[in-house]
Amino acid sequence: MIETGVWALIALIFFAYSFEFNQPIEIYKFGATGWPRVVLVLLLLVTAGNLYHHFKHGSAIQKGRVGIAETDESPTDYSNPATLAKIIAILFTPFLFAWLLKPVGMYSGAPVFIAAVIWLFGERRWKWIVSITILIYAILLGLFVVALNAPLPQGNVSPFYDFSGFILKMNTLLQKAW
Amino acid sequence: MVENFLAGTAALFGDPFTVAIFVFGVIGGMLFGAIPGVSMLTLAAILLPFTADLEPAQGVMLFAVIYCTGTYGGAITAILFNIPGAPENAPTAFDGYPMTRKGQSGKAVGAAVLCSAIGGVASALVMMAATEPLANWAIRNIGPPEIFALVFFGLAVASSVGGRTIWKGWMSVLLGLLIATIGQDPVGGINRYNFGFTDLAAGIAFVPAILGFFAVSEIFIQAEKKATGKFDAPKVGMSFPSAMELWMHKFAVLRSILVGFFCGILPGIGATLAAFMGYGEAVRWSKNKEEFGTGKLEGVISSETANNAATGAAMIPLLALGLPGGALTAMMVAVFQMHDLEPGPLVFYNSPELIWIVFAAMFYANLSILFIGLIETKTILYLLKIPFQFLAPLILLLATIGAYISRGLVLDVMVMFGAGIIGFLLRRTGYSIPGIVLGLILGKIGEQNFAQGMQMVHYDLGTYFSRPICTILIAAGALTLATGVYRAFASPTNKA
Repeated sequence: MIETGVWALIALIFFAYSFEFNQPIEIYKFGATGWPRVVLVLLLLVTAGNLYHHFKHGSAIQKGRVGIAETDESPTDYSNPATLAKIIAILFTPFLFAWLLKPVGMYSGAPVFIAAVIWLFGERRWKWIVSITILIYAILLGLFVVALNAPLPQGNVSPFYDFSGFILKMNTLLQKAW
Repeated sequence: MVENFLAGTAALFGDPFTVAIFVFGVIGGMLFGAIPGVSMLTLAAILLPFTADLEPAQGVMLFAVIYCTGTYGGAITAILFNIPGAPENAPTAFDGYPMTRKGQSGKAVGAAVLCSAIGGVASALVMMAATEPLANWAIRNIGPPEIFALVFFGLAVASSVGGRTIWKGWMSVLLGLLIATIGQDPVGGINRYNFGFTDLAAGIAFVPAILGFFAVSEIFIQAEKKATGKFDAPKVGMSFPSAMELWMHKFAVLRSILVGFFCGILPGIGATLAAFMGYGEAVRWSKNKEEFGTGKLEGVISSETANNAATGAAMIPLLALGLPGGALTAMMVAVFQMHDLEPGPLVFYNSPELIWIVFAAMFYANLSILFIGLIETKTILYLLKIPFQFLAPLILLLATIGAYISRGLVLDVMVMFGAGIIGFLLRRTGYSIPGIVLGLILGKIGEQNFAQGMQMVHYDLGTYFSRPICTILIAAGALTLATGVYRAFASPTNKA
């Protein structure tokens, strides 16, 4: 029921928003809303079918399905609050990193992110955490900054912005010395 | 044809600088193709300004070589880590990754190497023999209605793969189609669903979405397994497929070459749909459909043969009609224009030497996949021995850069991680990630061609069915859907 509710809510929100761009296109009879609204109607129909299937068969896998990954079949026990907290931390740490990319930048944020992910994945030997962080950071700088000169987010808050400036200055000097 | 090919070969290998460019393209395409998100397109974009200093033939040839080897490169990460280097390698992961989990990574990568080479070489040969007649046929018979019909068929096939039930397969495809409507509408350029974000006016970019749904969600799944003590490291397997195993799949290879070539020839469709349809057809013709997705060699073979078979075919509309089939062939148009050349039928008469160097280079680049790929495979398999807690941050960081680099938007990184969380939740509840991705990729192409087709036939749907190719494809798609509906109501379930 929750699943059906979520899908119905998505369809409803998208349908409500479709009035924002509901304007005719001179050269096309069905307009800008034609295609998305057909998709939404089909989505609602299929959601109803999914609900019917759930009432009739529960969450069982349909016979003859192709490409079912093993991860889809094994339910996880979330009764332990520590496990749940760890999963939530793993899910949202990258999101936090992405959110901080604008103010902090890639050059300052990446080492902390790398170390945090290694730690969240269960590594507790600090020497390994530090050395692998340095190695991955060196790969990042070597490949994307030195070799490819790729424009990465520099941050817009001091001292992070200054640190990015320092790295880029060092890269310029290195390129000139090459 | 043979004389022209030999002349092209002589021109390619007669000049050491051209050989150096060829080798650079082969290795660069393979390496960049294997880095998730960064892909061969990044390499091509970086190289584009430098091609102005090259001879026109060298510039176009370099891009053609990167196209061939880059299409193969993405299979490696798809098989080893369930992270396709590019969308056209996504179906390779369906069976390639389960094979890795079973300790058959060598077999999967070996099959990918061999079948990419076979698909690519066959495609190059057909391209050499048939570019001009095929282009003439395509220009007369393939229009927006046919492309829409092909998209419809592709989506119908995709909905039957990956979901726990057919309903969830359809919901996944429809979610992908819905995400594809974000951004400007393809006919009038009207902003849709930007939810107040101006950056969303350009829509959801494929690369961050694909990285999120595949790479990031996979990392989250593995993280969950680590947290719950269910993590089981992938096994390194060095056994390559035997000649007998490959011979048993000869029909799958042939079918995928045909499917790949047909999809590749259509502008705007290209290798991605080829790979999905190659895989879908393998499932359709198989007697053991249930085994697909659990580590079946035929899945890897079908997908990798089809996507490389599309590369040669994609050159046909470009060279014969001047129509690029995708992002990389569009960059090749830019190379032509930089040298005051226009791709199109006249190139065959004005610059035949350029055409035949490119054809020869694509042929040899596909052969190179076989030799370099086998050596590369033996080294790259050892990546699996790296503990996952050290590999995960590297993959996440590469994915972050891959998502950011194409448009320089932090929003794309947010989209990627958002897609990662959604992908994680959807995979846990039995939805099909490939279905979402194909819906997303084909949504805009489908809508655009539907609109153009409807305008063309003056909104008379019946006219669609007076076109034979269109009728066949729509009928095949409808049959797939009807079979799905029948199964949805009649089929029992496997297990509770």
